[in-house]
Parts: sequence; structure tokens; C-alpha cells
Amino acid sequence: MKKQLILFRSFFVISAVTLGGGLAMIPVIQKAFTEKNKWLTDEDMTDIIAVTQSSPGIIATNIAVLTGYRVAKVSGAIFAALGAVIPPFLSIVLIASLFQHLAASETVNHVFTGVRAAICALILAAVIRMTKKIIKGKFEIILALFGFIGMLFNMNAVLLVVLSGLSGVVYMLLRKKEKLQ
Amino acid sequence: MIHLFYIYWLFLKIGLFTFGGGYAMIPLFQMELVEHHQYLTDAEFANIVALAQMTPGPVGLNAATYIGYQQGIAALGDVIGIYPAGCLGALFGTLGVMTPSLTIVLAAAVFLAKFQENKYVKAVLSGIRPAMLGLIGAAVIFFANTSIFTAPLQTVFRKISAFGISWQAFLIFGAVLFVEFKYKVNIIFVIIGSGLAAWLLYMI
Repeated sequence: MKKQLILFRSFFVISAVTLGGGLAMIPVIQKAFTEKNKWLTDEDMTDIIAVTQSSPGIIATNIAVLTGYRVAKVSGAIFAALGAVIPPFLSIVLIASLFQHLAASETVNHVFTGVRAAICALILAAVIRMTKKIIKGKFEIILALFGFIGMLFNMNAVLLVVLSGLSGVVYMLLRKKEKLQ
Repeated sequence: MIHLFYIYWLFLKIGLFTFGGGYAMIPLFQMELVEHHQYLTDAEFANIVALAQMTPGPVGLNAATYIGYQQGIAALGDVIGIYPAGCLGALFGTLGVMTPSLTIVLAAAVFLAKFQENKYVKAVLSGIRPAMLGLIGAAVIFFANTSIFTAPLQTVFRKISAFGISWQAFLIFGAVLFVEFKYKVNIIFVIIGSGLAAWLLYMI
């Protein structure tokens, strides 16, 4: 039971102080579990990051589930996930209850327009960085354009994800066939 | 009660089809909540994302909790009171968006030691990753539509379009892009700074 509580506490603290969540948590987790407690090896950490990046859902809770499972099986996974979820849940519920009454003055609108322009730039920066990692050839360019244009013109995003996953499989099979010939 | 489970289902669907977390979730939220159900306007949704960025915790989780809170009030606020309804909605939204972590990811951890090395998993992801990049690219346009552009970019080819560019927002956009690549500044300072800058610039 002790391990579960430590997992809960660690993820609670990490989640409460990490802004932006997701991958920003990784160095902190690494420090807590491979250096301080020695519950995980560096190899475990690499595996966790790899599985996280190939799984659906929220990165932060995925990392919590995978780390918790390696340390203390299913109960560890549940405690770690709860720890990761509770701080943002409480802070958002608090903000949502306050923010409802704060809407719609001209000044607030202007401030938020500025913030939206900033986020626009931040996302663009993330896209540029990811492009360097993801785009390797024509196949990726076509799919990226497909995602971009499809989304702009209100194509169903779920369908878009399913189709691009399928085309990944078809592309792999085609390449295999080419190699055999 | 039915509406609460609908909130759960909505966020489960969003969680299930997001790969890469955070920003990748924005287009799916937008599709479901703004375009499809019209629970939120473009500007409201963009504000929620901004708020989710400024608070601790993952952006996707924060947004799900916030939108769940609002939807809970819309569904049950008159029946059980605003705060309990909001909290219930937030709970269902949060549970929905984290269900994939607790099911698929946990199952992958338990049953498949080397899940990410399976060749079909690899092939599916090789298609999804670049498409997600495109989706996130569309989120850039979405945010530009609600800040830099005075009317959505998609309307630029129509004859009667109010399309234009707000120089104040464009200035902030350019400055943030520059700062982001040149220096590594904590996101909270970037956001507070651009809020302040907007307040000053729009007074001119």
C-alpha cells in the first residue's frame, strides 16, 4: 500500500505544478522514479514514453497509468492516475465557478483576443517543430494536407483519423509487396 | 441524467481519437462542441483553451473539465442547483476523456509487453501522425480566425466577406512566434504578457 500512496502523492504534486502538462511531466517523473526511488530504470522510462506516444488520450494520464503499472501493477496505475487528475480537476472547477460571472466586458474581450493570438503562435511553433520530426516523404505530406484541408472544411475528425490509420496499413502492405517483387 | 452520460460519451470519443495529446485534441473538441452541437461559440471555445493553457495540468483534461462543468449546468442547473450540476458535469467530462488511459493504455501495459513494436500498430500510427499534424495545423487557422482575422479565413473567397486583419493581434502573434523560437520563455509569462500587450494596444 505504501508504494500506491507514494505514487498518488508524486503524481498529485507533479500534476499540480506542471504547466502545459503532457510531455513536460517527463523530466520530473524521471527524477522522482529513476533517481530518487530507483523503482524504474532508464529503459523503463524510454518504453513508457514510446507507448505514450502511440496511445490515444491524454498524455499525462497515460504516463501516470504506465508508470503506476510498472511500479505496483493495476492498483498502482489507478492511484497514479487519480493523483494526476485531482489537482487540475479542482482548479478548473474553481475557475469555472468564478469565471462564469467575469465574462463579456470590452477590456476582457481585448485581453483574450491577445491571448488567442499568442496561442495561435504557440501552436504554429509546435507544428513547425513537429513537421521536422514527422514529415519524411510524399506519404506524410499527402496525409498532413488531407488532415489540414479536411479539418478546415469541417470533415468529421473521427473519420479523418480512422482513414489515415487505414492508409498507414495499406501503405505498409504496398511497400511489402514492392519489396517481394 | 441522460445528458450526463452524453457528456461522458462525447469526451470518451474525443479521447479515443486523439493521438499526441494536448493540441491534437483541440480540433476534435472544436468539431464536436462548436460545429456539431453548437454548445459554444468560436470565441468562447478559444477562451476555454486559453484558460486551460494558463492553469496547471494537461490542456485536454482541463478543457474537458471546464466544458463538462458548463454543460452540467446547462443540463441540470435548474434541477439540482448550479454548483452540484457543474461539478457532476465536470466529473463526467473528466472521466470520459481519461477512460482511454484507464482501459486501452492499461490493457496495453498488462497484455502487450511490446505494444508499440507491433507492425500493425506501427503502420496505423505512421498514417495517423502526419494527419494529426494537419489537424493541429487547422487549429492554427482556427485561433487566427478568432484573433488575427476579423472574419474566418474560409470566407475570403466569398463576395461579401468582412475579412481583414487586426494589426494589434498580428503584432502579438509575430512577437510570440519570435520569442518562442529565439528564447525559451515559460508559457505562463508568454500568455500574461500577450494579454497585457493586447490591453494596451487596443487602447491606442
